Amino acid sequence: MSLWKQSVEIARVDLLVESRLGDSLKIILPFAIIALMIFSLAFGSDLISIGNAGPGVFWTIAILFGMQIALRAAALETEPRRDLTALLGLDPAARFLGRSLSASLLLGGFMSVLFAAMLLLFNPVLPTGWLWPVATSLVLSTIGLAMLSTLAGEVTVGLRNRTSLASLIVAPLVIPIVVGASQVREAMDRSSGILIWILLLTTTDLVLLVAGVGLSRPLEEASR
Amino acid sequence: MRRVQVLLAVAAAALGYGAYLAFTAPLDVLQGEYTRMINIHVPTLWLAFLAFGITALGSVMYLIRRTARWDRLAASSAEIGVLFAVVGVFTGMVWGQAVWGQAWDWGDARLATTAVMIFVYVAYLVLRQSIADPEKRAKRSAILGIIAVIQVPLVYFSVYLVRTLHQTPSIRPDGATMPTEILVAMLVNVGAFTVLYVALLTGRMYVARLESERASERALAGEAVSNPRLSEIQDV
Repeated sequence: MSLWKQSVEIARVDLLVESRLGDSLKIILPFAIIALMIFSLAFGSDLISIGNAGPGVFWTIAILFGMQIALRAAALETEPRRDLTALLGLDPAARFLGRSLSASLLLGGFMSVLFAAMLLLFNPVLPTGWLWPVATSLVLSTIGLAMLSTLAGEVTVGLRNRTSLASLIVAPLVIPIVVGASQVREAMDRSSGILIWILLLTTTDLVLLVAGVGLSRPLEEASR
Repeated sequence: MRRVQVLLAVAAAALGYGAYLAFTAPLDVLQGEYTRMINIHVPTLWLAFLAFGITALGSVMYLIRRTARWDRLAASSAEIGVLFAVVGVFTGMVWGQAVWGQAWDWGDARLATTAVMIFVYVAYLVLRQSIADPEKRAKRSAILGIIAVIQVPLVYFSVYLVRTLHQTPSIRPDGATMPTEILVAMLVNVGAFTVLYVALLTGRMYVARLESERASERALAGEAVSNPRLSEIQDV
């Protein structure tokens, strides 16, 4: 079985488990939308401030809640399940790729709904032609966050303080993604080029991909 | 231990000379006495970058060689790097309060990204504390030590990427943008702080080796010694 097929199979199983449990859709997404509403209420009746703050609030909530979605797959990984995948001869790199793929798909859906909710609730003024650049930055940041959270989840698997520690690892490391994604819209506002920010996001994703695949074997050893 | 004492003595002498140069160098007209902050701010942040780079190197080498020495190097360097980074950010804030009129400015990308970088390595140190098994701890923290270093180029290039208050490097390929006396004092202090870093690193690695030896002795005693049963004592 090729690496790609193994990865797709792992992603399929992860998504199947998620569709049965449904925590991302039933708990984390509504909670994130409530957080958006709390932010808009906290700004009071200053509609201009609410509109200006919208994209920034979106990224704050998308990152903080998104990492919880991406970390969920590693949280469900039990010791017997890890032993089983190892005994089946599964490539450790396929586990990283598959887990990142499933987390990316879940995060992609989550971020799309959250972005639509932000547009509705905050009514921000967006520059003309914003759709494709913003969509590209959303996709790239989703992939980066998914890979980073997968790595953090693997590093902290089985630890007593796993939930809080994984968040502490992801939150500061996600800064290149936050900077790249938020600057795309700002660059459009200033009518300057967005290429450098897309390049920053792509480079971060590539570095994480290389790190994740390259370190997958020691990761598997360390997590047992 | 003797090597650490010698290194600390050399560091103290170099820092003394660096302080002398810092206090005799001319002052910038606008910054006044705060010009001297550069002699702590630049060396400590340079060493934070170096220390985190050494952590990444130690992590890579641990995964290749699997010897505890490399793990001790990575961990000790991260601890010292956090210390230097905190000092560097603090001195930057003191300088910012005096020159920019505020200690923390969100317009300064370098300041914000450096502060975030500290948290990456705080997470690294917390991860180490969370794992009791030395081998598991070494492997997992080596992985994080490698991933964490991606933050370092972002901090360095932040002044070019984002509109920021922070100035770009003063020492460039086409020459320095500061008077020679200030530059010499700063470079001597960079050297002095580097010797201090090597001394602290050597000392911390020595202590880490003693800690791991004590931990392994404790484990051996724990396996060999058990509480005597009352019935056995009465028989004797």
